[in-house]
Amino acid sequence: MTDQGVVYDLGYKPHEGPRLGRSAAVRATTKDGLRRMFGLRRRARKKILPFLLFGIALLPAVVFVGFVFLTSQIGAGDIVETPFASHAAYFDIAAGTVLLFCALSGPELLIPDRVDGVLAVYSSRPMTVFDYLGARAGALGIGVGLFMLVPQLILYLGFAALREGGFVSNLVTNAEDLFQIILATVVYLLAYGAPAFLVAVYAKRLAPATGVYLGVFFGLQAVADGFTNAGTRWAAVAALADHPGVVRDWIFDRSSADLVPTRADLAPWVSLVVIVAIAVLALAAAVRRYRSLL
Amino acid sequence: MNAVVVADALGHAYGDVVALHHVSVEIPPGRVGLVGANGAGKTTLIKILLGILDPTLGSVLVLGSDPQEDAIAVRARIGYMPESDCLPLSQTAADFMVYAAELAGIPAKAARQRASDVLTLVGLHEERFRQLGEFSTGMKQRAKLAQAIVHDPDLVLLDEPTAGLDPEGRDEMLDLIARLGGFGINVITSSHVLTDIERTCDWVVMLDAGSVLREGPLSQLLDTDTVEIEMFDDPTPIAEALSHAGATVTVTHRTIAVRVDDDDAYDLIRDTLARSGTGVRRMGTRAQTLEDVFLHSEEAAAR
Repeated sequence: MTDQGVVYDLGYKPHEGPRLGRSAAVRATTKDGLRRMFGLRRRARKKILPFLLFGIALLPAVVFVGFVFLTSQIGAGDIVETPFASHAAYFDIAAGTVLLFCALSGPELLIPDRVDGVLAVYSSRPMTVFDYLGARAGALGIGVGLFMLVPQLILYLGFAALREGGFVSNLVTNAEDLFQIILATVVYLLAYGAPAFLVAVYAKRLAPATGVYLGVFFGLQAVADGFTNAGTRWAAVAALADHPGVVRDWIFDRSSADLVPTRADLAPWVSLVVIVAIAVLALAAAVRRYRSLL
Repeated sequence: MNAVVVADALGHAYGDVVALHHVSVEIPPGRVGLVGANGAGKTTLIKILLGILDPTLGSVLVLGSDPQEDAIAVRARIGYMPESDCLPLSQTAADFMVYAAELAGIPAKAARQRASDVLTLVGLHEERFRQLGEFSTGMKQRAKLAQAIVHDPDLVLLDEPTAGLDPEGRDEMLDLIARLGGFGINVITSSHVLTDIERTCDWVVMLDAGSVLREGPLSQLLDTDTVEIEMFDDPTPIAEALSHAGATVTVTHRTIAVRVDDDDAYDLIRDTLARSGTGVRRMGTRAQTLEDVFLHSEEAAAR
């Protein structure tokens, strides 16, 4: 026996376990997308913005539920019934962070793979162009879902606990709220996520893509606002940032008088059509571009 | 022997530019070189094998499946190392290898193990937690090879694997490629560097302007039909004797080149030399490189 270590060359070991196929490839791509969006397993600076935005989306719900809990202790729990505490109103708080999150995440999901040539790796794996784009869109959906649904769930559970009538009873009574929340979340995902994909399909760099996305949103919003005020009613179609709010209010059956499309007297379905049309356009553009690459 | 690739009258055109023209070839298992000048159609052929491009003519089977009909079945069993960059620069080598394995359907735990094993195999184990963007060209090439084999494919396609490497890096890469055959992985290496193919492959397919110039076992392609005899003294008497006996002979300085048409020619050379009692410095089949074969084939095709 020697006191020195010995290195054994074990040679090459072939994989003899299962191969999980196409569904595993889609899951892996989705998981990788989530890591990219939130900067997980990447440098610290990549994590700052997404987690900061998530904190901003989440904090008001936590603070509000906590505040109502404290006031209920001194007999002022009726504050839970104020309009500020509604699920529909909370979407306004979260929408800004979701818009910024999409502006950062859409490009992050698509551009590096294309620019760094990683698509060549996907092209040698058991997946199709639809699997790849679907997995990336799914990752964005989960990200937007976290931004929208987690605070809403905190409110939902908090309201149920703090309202009179009992926790379980309140959960059952207000179950319809959950359906509306999920529906409105999907609307925001399509309205803010699809244009981010559309920009990312063509852009070559992350920062300019984010800039173009935000520029288009805010620019068109200003144009729509100005023309609508001047009496050009159909210019309100360009108010991309306001459309999900209009549809959300349609879902929650509440007034959205302050939003540009409503001020222009456009029916809520017009906003829905605009959102769906842009989503279809983004999908078509992505498939067209990626078909020759994957 | 089941061929790993069977192409039948395969053709592909980019608009008016014909990239592949009537390519019919059966590529056997083992280490196969796909050689040809830039623009010969090598990368187009690889993209068709991957199912990225559709052939405009003909058909192809990869590991028994048609990549146009069932790209998923083909892609589940192959690996690909492209000529261009294919590494996400903001990810560590370990993370990307795990991801590359999971993309091929390897379960998460096994993917981590394979990523570690393969990074060790290509000599990047110490660097596994560094971001790929910090890697040198040589390290990137090794990482590209690692991602191509991390899922233990049946066939790996290597497109110009030594591009951009210094001589030392090139040596290491060729050694790695040469070892792959021993792991039970069939290898198709595309390169315009013929010496790389000579070092790593057993079978060669030569492409020129989109068509197959020659194909076959490397040893057969390098064989010549000429025996060279280098003499110590004046070669003229031996050359005359051989010529007199019916052999085709050419003399250059002290070297006699004898064309071998059949096995009798070897007997004739042996007997003639034995009778003369002349000293021979060296005798053997004329050495030919793959480059010679390629150039001669090109010339023959041009005629």
